[in-house]
Amino acid sequence: MTKQPLGIGILSFAHMHAYAYADVLKQLPNVRIQAVADTDEERGRKAQAQYGGDFCVDYQRLLQREDIDAVIVCSENARHAEMVLAAAEAGKHVLCEKPIATTVNDAQRMIDACEQHQVTLQIAFPVRFSTPLCRLKQTVEEGRLGRIVAIRGTNHGQNPGGWFVDPVLSGGGAVMDHTVHVVDIMRWLSESEVREVYAEVDTRFYDIETDDCGLLMLEFENGVFASHDPSWSRPRAYPTWGDVTLEVIGTGGVTQVDALAQHLDVYSDRDGGYQHAFFGDSMDAALILDFVDCVQTGRMPSISGVDGLRALEVALAAYESAQSGRPVRLR
Amino acid sequence: MSSLKVAIIGAGTMGWVHSDGYRNMADVDLVGILDIRADAARRLAASKDTAAFTDMDELIREARPDIIDVCVPTYLHRQVVEAAASAGCHVICEKPIARTLEDARAMIRACRAAGVQLYIAHVVRFFPEYRRAHDWVASGAAGRVGVVRAMRGGAFPTAWEDWYVNVAKSGTVIVDSMIHDFDFLRWCFGEVHRVFAKSQLGRDLMKLDHAFVSLRFRNGVMAHVEGTWAYPKGFQTELEIAGSQGLLEFRSGRAAALSSQFRQTEHTAAGVEVPESPLRISPYQRELEHFVQCIQSGEKPLVTAEDALKALEISLAALTSVQTGAPVVLHETAGYDQE
Repeated sequence: MTKQPLGIGILSFAHMHAYAYADVLKQLPNVRIQAVADTDEERGRKAQAQYGGDFCVDYQRLLQREDIDAVIVCSENARHAEMVLAAAEAGKHVLCEKPIATTVNDAQRMIDACEQHQVTLQIAFPVRFSTPLCRLKQTVEEGRLGRIVAIRGTNHGQNPGGWFVDPVLSGGGAVMDHTVHVVDIMRWLSESEVREVYAEVDTRFYDIETDDCGLLMLEFENGVFASHDPSWSRPRAYPTWGDVTLEVIGTGGVTQVDALAQHLDVYSDRDGGYQHAFFGDSMDAALILDFVDCVQTGRMPSISGVDGLRALEVALAAYESAQSGRPVRLR
Repeated sequence: MSSLKVAIIGAGTMGWVHSDGYRNMADVDLVGILDIRADAARRLAASKDTAAFTDMDELIREARPDIIDVCVPTYLHRQVVEAAASAGCHVICEKPIARTLEDARAMIRACRAAGVQLYIAHVVRFFPEYRRAHDWVASGAAGRVGVVRAMRGGAFPTAWEDWYVNVAKSGTVIVDSMIHDFDFLRWCFGEVHRVFAKSQLGRDLMKLDHAFVSLRFRNGVMAHVEGTWAYPKGFQTELEIAGSQGLLEFRSGRAAALSSQFRQTEHTAAGVEVPESPLRISPYQRELEHFVQCIQSGEKPLVTAEDALKALEISLAALTSVQTGAPVVLHETAGYDQE
């Protein structure tokens, strides 16, 4: 008897990462995209044509299908919660785009629902699967950096526009969008939780309703201190979309990681001037493979809902700190 | 114009650097080197073909300098500067101006009272990469500046009596090294409104120092300044200025115009990479030439003692923030005569 392929449904292509995930899923032999749901019918039908499966506007119909084992939620941040709650109730495993939600309450409800219905909830923090960052984690675990003293992170980008700059749908701008990846990595490396957050947050690059820049200063429970820059500060002329960099200062040495350093410098009169052509391993592919494996084997997810919640707490605390001008104590 | 006579106090690292600068300047006579370590003074004086001293009164009496160049550890600046001023000598003094605001203000007062000039060697303003970056911002090419990132550091410095490890004397990497970036950023963006900082101070400062400082300027610009003495070796600087119209990046490692690897010989180890960013006139010499010209012409220097005081104020605010865990708001009124 041949094994049934794993049936996947994609709930919304609002977040552009859905395309990257679908590209990977399409390549996998034991996986099938059974259906796509999107309230934006034009966008959804286009995706369906590209990736196969059926299309429906109402995601509830998708969730009723028995040939779907797991869903990928790539809706606007503020809509994650209702979709994940419904998916859990329908008994579908979930890979949810980051940030997990826009409020702590939503995130907690999502975690509780998935636990109650015994489905996997994994948060899409693909940076954990970046090969250079995995090597950094290995370097730390081998003790070669000694004890970690401080960590500096950046996750720069450009204004993605659209719903990302609508505070009702996104829950926040650059700080919401670009804090959680790196905070997740810092928690993973330091094996500690963020105790306190101080931040400057503002809108200085674009004429938009959300923030577009910030600086975070973090203190972990184990005494590691850190800083992070989530700003959408890359101009249009920048040769790539942004960066993910980390510097870990330890008693035994220092490691600097640039997750996008593996690129060619391409100067083209035809295609947009100077561009980086990335040639490193795809972290999106590794994330999807991990999720598929997690669902198929029934093991615990590599990146849990609680991981998503802890990172969200830091982003929300950054906004609170910037409002009050004081550090915010999380625990 | 007749030559100006310069004497250097302190034959440590910066004493050597400054004496190299003066040796290349036609209108300056290097008339003496003073160090309380007689052998250190003799070694540097011999290499520059000048006289060595161990006593300030003797140096002033015999060498009759017009300018005293102060290259002693930070916490000793005040006593040397006051002695120089009372002898009627103009003063060029290494950064930071002093370890405390009180000392800095006293130095400014003493030089004013004596009618001599006081120049603080914030050399970063004379580094061409920083000058270009400043001019780029000033030209408006960045548009509205949003976020600035500056980084400076390398290995923990070694010096006489290991004074860098003593917080009361050096003020950690925040006062000694990051003050360069604080001064540069003030030059570009004006006064700082709010400072928040995290560092190794109060944790386990055992010849391994690292600091992150968040600055918010009055004009709204935010800056992340990283200073380190935590690397196993080397030294590097980085600068990034992001605005609504453009972004500027500088990394010293990428600006190495030449890089050599040498085979092992009897005298050298193999495989040591030597990156260089060579300039015909070093930024240190450029700075000293500028100060000497200011003395000759009476013009206002690119960086004043009051600028140096303001930079120290930012450093000390950062130290306070590290120690209290709270942000520090600076006030416009903290000029040198507000005590």
